[in-house]
Amino acid sequence: MSINTNTLDIRHTIWSWIARNLTNNVSFKAYFEPLIQLFFPQWRADRFRSSVIDVRRESDDMYSLVIKPNKQWKGFRAGQYIELTVEKEGAWVSRFFSISSSPRYFNDSGLIEISIRIQENGQITPWLPQALKAGGVVNLSQAEGEFCLADSTTISGVTASTPTTKPILMIAGGSGITPFRSMLQQISLNGLAVSKPVSLMYYARSPEHFLFKEALNTYQQQVPNLTVNFIDTNELGFFSDAHLLKYCDDFAIRDIYICGPSPMIMHARKVLQNQNVNQEQIHYEFFGPEPVSLEGSGQASSVLFQQSGKQVTTNKDEPKTLLTLAEDAQLKPLSGCRIGVCHQCICQKKSGVVYNSKTKTYSDTGQEEIQLCVSVPVADVVLAL
Amino acid sequence: MSAASNNARPDSATLELFAQDLDQIRSNTMAKVGQKDANYIRNVIRVQRVSEIGGRVALVLGFISPVWWVVGVLLLAFAKILDNMEIGHNVMHGQYDWMNDPNINGRNFEWDHAADSDSWRRYHNHEHHTYTNIIGKDRDFGYGLLRLSDDTSWRPKNRWQILTYLNLSAMFELGVAYHEVAGERIFMGKRRKTSSLPITRKELRNAFFSKAGRQFFKDYVFFPLLCFPMFLPVLAGNFLANILRNLWTSTVIFCGHFTEEVHTFSIEDCENETQGEWYYRQILGSSNFEGRRWLHILSGHLSCQIEHHLFPDVPAYHYVEMGKQVQAVCKKYDIPYNTGSFGKQYLTVVKRVLKYSFPSKIEAASV
Ligand code: FES
Repeated sequence: MSINTNTLDIRHTIWSWIARNLTNNVSFKAYFEPLIQLFFPQWRADRFRSSVIDVRRESDDMYSLVIKPNKQWKGFRAGQYIELTVEKEGAWVSRFFSISSSPRYFNDSGLIEISIRIQENGQITPWLPQALKAGGVVNLSQAEGEFCLADSTTISGVTASTPTTKPILMIAGGSGITPFRSMLQQISLNGLAVSKPVSLMYYARSPEHFLFKEALNTYQQQVPNLTVNFIDTNELGFFSDAHLLKYCDDFAIRDIYICGPSPMIMHARKVLQNQNVNQEQIHYEFFGPEPVSLEGSGQASSVLFQQSGKQVTTNKDEPKTLLTLAEDAQLKPLSGCRIGVCHQCICQKKSGVVYNSKTKTYSDTGQEEIQLCVSVPVADVVLAL
Repeated sequence: MSAASNNARPDSATLELFAQDLDQIRSNTMAKVGQKDANYIRNVIRVQRVSEIGGRVALVLGFISPVWWVVGVLLLAFAKILDNMEIGHNVMHGQYDWMNDPNINGRNFEWDHAADSDSWRRYHNHEHHTYTNIIGKDRDFGYGLLRLSDDTSWRPKNRWQILTYLNLSAMFELGVAYHEVAGERIFMGKRRKTSSLPITRKELRNAFFSKAGRQFFKDYVFFPLLCFPMFLPVLAGNFLANILRNLWTSTVIFCGHFTEEVHTFSIEDCENETQGEWYYRQILGSSNFEGRRWLHILSGHLSCQIEHHLFPDVPAYHYVEMGKQVQAVCKKYDIPYNTGSFGKQYLTVVKRVLKYSFPSKIEAASV
């Protein structure tokens, strides 16, 4: 095996060396990409061009895309996410989404589903369903992420041999239900009786906002030991000690999985910590960017420099450019003119909103290249720096 | 500021209004940028790929008839010109960064050219575009080889600088590659005391050799060997294609910055510069030439050097349209706008090179 990967690696290195020398491109695929796109629009050398089979409405503000991934796509584990890339007005836009269907379902049908909440101010999520209505094309990355049940060995293609053995508590908020739906569908389709209890506490702000309600109810009937609680926050309030005791009083011995909007995750972790739950028992995944409001969303925004692990907060009353903020934090990003001309300070923004003081425009929430020297953070920003 | 004409700089209130008008042109144009531009640049890249591959194949077919060889040279030169001008230069200015396409991206792009693109981004995008025509700051003014204004004193070697110019033109690619290395005195001359270089001198040297070496390997070793029996014709064809590209790019660039009316500036001119003053300097430091669309495309729209200097990161295809609006704004504020036919502009370049081959009258008197 290792010899094999080694020869593959060497071959890859040699090929890319030749490609660089002959074409000035990173690979021959990249060199030919524009020509290939002539025949396969939106084809990308580094992505898996896949077709959208259906767009299904789930609720007022939520829909699912049913996608048939390209043959080279390697499959996934329940709970993982993918990066979805589409072309919008000439620009590639990418967003991360959890896969909401199970590996078992993918095995049987060749399809996956991702469920997307429409962001009011977003430029992508409201636009996608129309753009993809009649058999659109999207690009997928391989599946990524570690938010999977600890002993789930269910990579698609391999049937789960070890059923869930530890008791589990799942806490979902809003669209954070998607990875859990994948896990629960997997359990139910495999027809496995879970040997230890699995309990789901699912929060939404009104009865209409519970997604996959029927499916979840069905799983509950099919899988002994599985309990699903739909908790309407309007009536019953947010996750609290009282809820824990009411819906899952043996939480302390369980593996706990949390997925939802960031404030909810922070809050849930705090409650659990106060209950002396062990850190290692708690698994969580932040789901999607926060809805953005440009004004009045607090006085400060925070900037996370991802690669160096540094974080700073900035006061909105005296805006500072991201370049200054980075330099204040002892980072040394490449820069030149500092007036937005030379493009040397370009950096990839992973998420968050920035204001470009030169073009006087706000960015979108997703991943894109920005000029540090003329960009000011408006909402919490994550930078690849 | 020194200039051939004697327009005085408008006052700051005027320049403020002037800047607002130009900003408006920019944002009106940016509002239109989208799918059409993406399709356009992808199509140009397609044409480039097809001509490059076609050109290399045609060179080999030279054994059937020399006509094929000639076609091959022309196609290859054409592909290189497209790659360097309409694609490379513009992409590396970040004009297509909004596409989020890793292969059409300002930071990653590498061109079919001896100059390492990172080095070029540093001194061209930063130095030349920020300090346009400021003597002592913009090393592109005369490239340290030519005397093109009275700001530098005359030296005997300037007497035959027209030959230096022709030489530089033919080897322009190497001149561009060597430019930063020369400016940093990597191989010759007294080492600079202060350098803003973000990489070490060694890294700069390595980048220089590795990029130039790669280009050399490709055009003068790999492809000639690949077509072994045709080794010499292919080698000669590649060489000629490179020279043709060099002559063309050099000519375009000289027409954009060294025509008769182009102004020069001193460091004081750019201290605490307002946006309006910056725009004003960019306009006075550049010149356009007119022509048909194909001429604009072949010159990477540097035929609209003025617009390029005002808006370096706006997709260049829009410059022709913007040019009309910019010219109207200049007229409104009585600011000179330097344009003319390609032939006329080129003649004034030659005139300028010749004119400063000789000492100025004051200098001549004191000699
Ligand atoms: S430093 Fe030149 S564009 Fe930011």
